[in-house]
Amino acid sequence: MIAAYVANGVKSGLVAGLVFGLLVALVANPLVAFAEGGAQVEHAGEAGDHQHAGDHQHAGHSHAEGALPASLTDGVSVLSGVLWGVFLGVVAFGLAFYVLEPIVPGSGAVRSYAFGAAGFLTASVAPWLAFPPAPPGVERALDPNAAALLYVGLVAAGALASVSGMYAYDRIRERYGRPVAAAAGALPWALLVAVAVALVGVPSVAVPAGLPADLAHGLAGLVVFGQALTWLVMAGAHARFHARSGPNRNAGPTDSRLAEETPAGSP
Amino acid sequence: MTANTVHDRLRLARATLTPTQVLSVLLAVAALGFVLVLFQDPTAHEAMHNFRHAAGVVCH
Repeated sequence: MIAAYVANGVKSGLVAGLVFGLLVALVANPLVAFAEGGAQVEHAGEAGDHQHAGDHQHAGHSHAEGALPASLTDGVSVLSGVLWGVFLGVVAFGLAFYVLEPIVPGSGAVRSYAFGAAGFLTASVAPWLAFPPAPPGVERALDPNAAALLYVGLVAAGALASVSGMYAYDRIRERYGRPVAAAAGALPWALLVAVAVALVGVPSVAVPAGLPADLAHGLAGLVVFGQALTWLVMAGAHARFHARSGPNRNAGPTDSRLAEETPAGSP
Repeated sequence: MTANTVHDRLRLARATLTPTQVLSVLLAVAALGFVLVLFQDPTAHEAMHNFRHAAGVVCH
């Protein structure tokens, strides 16, 4: 049974990854290149629209040596976007959904979308509380290792808030009804946001020198939109795959399959 | 017997999966996640740079 869940996760992740890869190829690659070009041109004291697309790898980062051609970095970025979808699909809709399906709110397709929303909050929004999407050219205050550690810690905190919220909703719904349960389910996330804001302040988009504020905010908006789109597509695809793979989808796995796969004598 | 609680799901997984299966899946997932999100080697970092910006993954 778990194999079917992982397969569904990979498939929905692949669908979402292809969409996100397309977004990287068509929008993010040229836009990031343009923004980096803008930052570089500012140093040279010229206007941004004279920038050639191929020059972007020389700009923006002190550690970027410009050794790779733009076509290669663009290709790797698109491929990474596809793999990103697969990664999220396996972890969220494959492994986590297998375990958590009984407490995910709703039933049928609603369950997939609710879980996708929780995934978006966990994997994207939680780290953005401390590391809001940054346009090229922004140098972080933390060193990379500490930042990576904090990033992983924030995803874990987001996962904890999401799971405890679902658990609270599941427990409270039967006795006190849906509105009370929804409020209780949102409580862990409200707490996480409150703590994060108290510690690091309200997340805001940093605007590097040489980049128009509108462009910086537009890039951050694109990042948020891209991740929300990835999760939405993944949830939609998963709702279809999951409905097709199990007739008793509302209640989770069917009893007959369970009987087949559980060895005799196990509790 | 149904598997409609989280506890049942975990018990079913423990009954049907071998440690090797669990380990290989976890390793593959960890490797993919590490390369996409945390890998800091300059060449790889630069190549995935646009993607990390697009995904909002912490970077430099």
